[in-house]
Amino acid sequence: MLADVLAAEIGKGLRVQLAHPVGHVITLLISTMMYLGLQFVLGQGELRQDLLPQTLVAIGGYWFLQYAGLVLVADLIEEKRAGTFAQTRMSPAPAWLPMLGRLITASIFGLGVAAAAALVPVLVAGIAIPLRWAALLPALLLGANVLAFTFLLAALALVSPMIGALQSLFTSLVLLLNGSFLPLAFYPDWLAALARVLPTTLGIEVITRTLFEGGTLAQVWHDGSLPWLVAHTLALIVAGGLLFSRNHRRVLRESS
Amino acid sequence: MIRVEALTKVYGSAETRAVDEVSLDVPAGTVFGFLGPNGAGKTTTIKMLAGLLTPTSGRVRLGGFDVATQRSAAMAQFGAVLEGSRNVYWSLSAWQNLLYFGRLKGLRKAQAKVRAQHLLTGLELWDRRDDEVGGFSRGMQQKVAIAAALIADPPIVLLDEPTLGLDVETTRTVKTWITALARESGTTVLLTTHQLDVAQELCDRVAVMRRGRLVADLPTRELLASFRERDRYEIRVEGAAPPGFDAVTHDGVSTISVRVGDPREVYDVVERLRAQGAVLESLTQVQPDLEDVFLALVNEPSHAC
Repeated sequence: MLADVLAAEIGKGLRVQLAHPVGHVITLLISTMMYLGLQFVLGQGELRQDLLPQTLVAIGGYWFLQYAGLVLVADLIEEKRAGTFAQTRMSPAPAWLPMLGRLITASIFGLGVAAAAALVPVLVAGIAIPLRWAALLPALLLGANVLAFTFLLAALALVSPMIGALQSLFTSLVLLLNGSFLPLAFYPDWLAALARVLPTTLGIEVITRTLFEGGTLAQVWHDGSLPWLVAHTLALIVAGGLLFSRNHRRVLRESS
Repeated sequence: MIRVEALTKVYGSAETRAVDEVSLDVPAGTVFGFLGPNGAGKTTTIKMLAGLLTPTSGRVRLGGFDVATQRSAAMAQFGAVLEGSRNVYWSLSAWQNLLYFGRLKGLRKAQAKVRAQHLLTGLELWDRRDDEVGGFSRGMQQKVAIAAALIADPPIVLLDEPTLGLDVETTRTVKTWITALARESGTTVLLTTHQLDVAQELCDRVAVMRRGRLVADLPTRELLASFRERDRYEIRVEGAAPPGFDAVTHDGVSTISVRVGDPREVYDVVERLRAQGAVLESLTQVQPDLEDVFLALVNEPSHAC
């Protein structure tokens, strides 16, 4: 039964997202145009091939965060308003299961949109991204990092009417600081330190070292960047789990 | 089938008692009307029944399963349509909604398909099954919400204002379905409504809430009968009513409404009319309807029964 509920939740989530695809296509086009336009301006009239691969990975992380967050948080707010969230809570399945389904839906959709959006600059600007096995684990951790942060926002969305504004604030900060415009190496130390507190930044740093600088997993472990990424991701997962548990109890106690 | 014991919900430090020691026992196959003015605590009670809200104290058992300690089994006992909500996904089709909610309630996909076809056909939505629910009329959307609540063929159905805002035809369809559910399938239906004629027509038993407390919980007939001491009579006479009688005259017939403590007093009234030359057209005992009873209960708590 659990697998059936999970499959139903994922299927429903994807159908809801794809019911009106035109809006997504327009947003996707705007995102890629904005990225290429900014790179053109920052490159003072040219697309700098030495910076594009790194910034593309960074903005790919941002797109993943933005769209996964949109699916999970915005839909949760809408479903609370529409009463379908209450319906899902009247299932014999445990409360965490539909939420897990939502998280998987968000990751599928976020990843799909990020990949599709990244494909346009790759084709238009001829960006070549090398594939290295050493980058696989950091990439998976980046995904987990993004989803853990999205889950944290979803846990807040259970009780906070201000979550939309908070989500916009954080995603904007991520876009500004995670290396989407310029690699972190160009930032002053204090700003780079601040950027590393945000989701995606640490993951993008480790991916950059393993993918573009030839670093091995052992090297990124010993220089401290991989342990920081693991710790950051675990902290987000624990915080999200605790907050979800607390806020779910609060909803049951206070919903009127 | 539904057993509620001393259910209480207190909000915040202000000790607002939204629901205060409410106990109910609803047997299987009953259509149970849960009435009360706005803010009486009906929706809070329904939410506690549905496991959406944790009671401050008291217990809810659905089909013998405790909502607090046997949640999974209890959730499989009912389907619900909540008031003021869409209840279903407007961007999905009726078919997609029913398959989703069926699987959410524990049905296999093949089982959900069979039930969905049965429900959509019965509710005259089969031809529109692949259309987005958002494009449906209010009545059709409510039908889909009801079908979603019934998709797993639950022994209990909770309906919060199921006919609110519906046209006459859809209201009739919903009422027919509610009656058939109880009479033919033995489903227990708990419904709240402000449409007291609907409650009187459908409900075997009625409970009335006022300020979080139950002020009545009786079979509908007994509840109406318990107010018969206030029996009223309507006397219709030809032409204008004689002096001394308050009457409403319409189309050459005057209707005199009299309230008596003892039915024998009616003879005296008729005798007075005859003495003044009035020609009697009809004499009818006016039974209190649920609206009279409801107003008496919510406005005069001394009538608690």
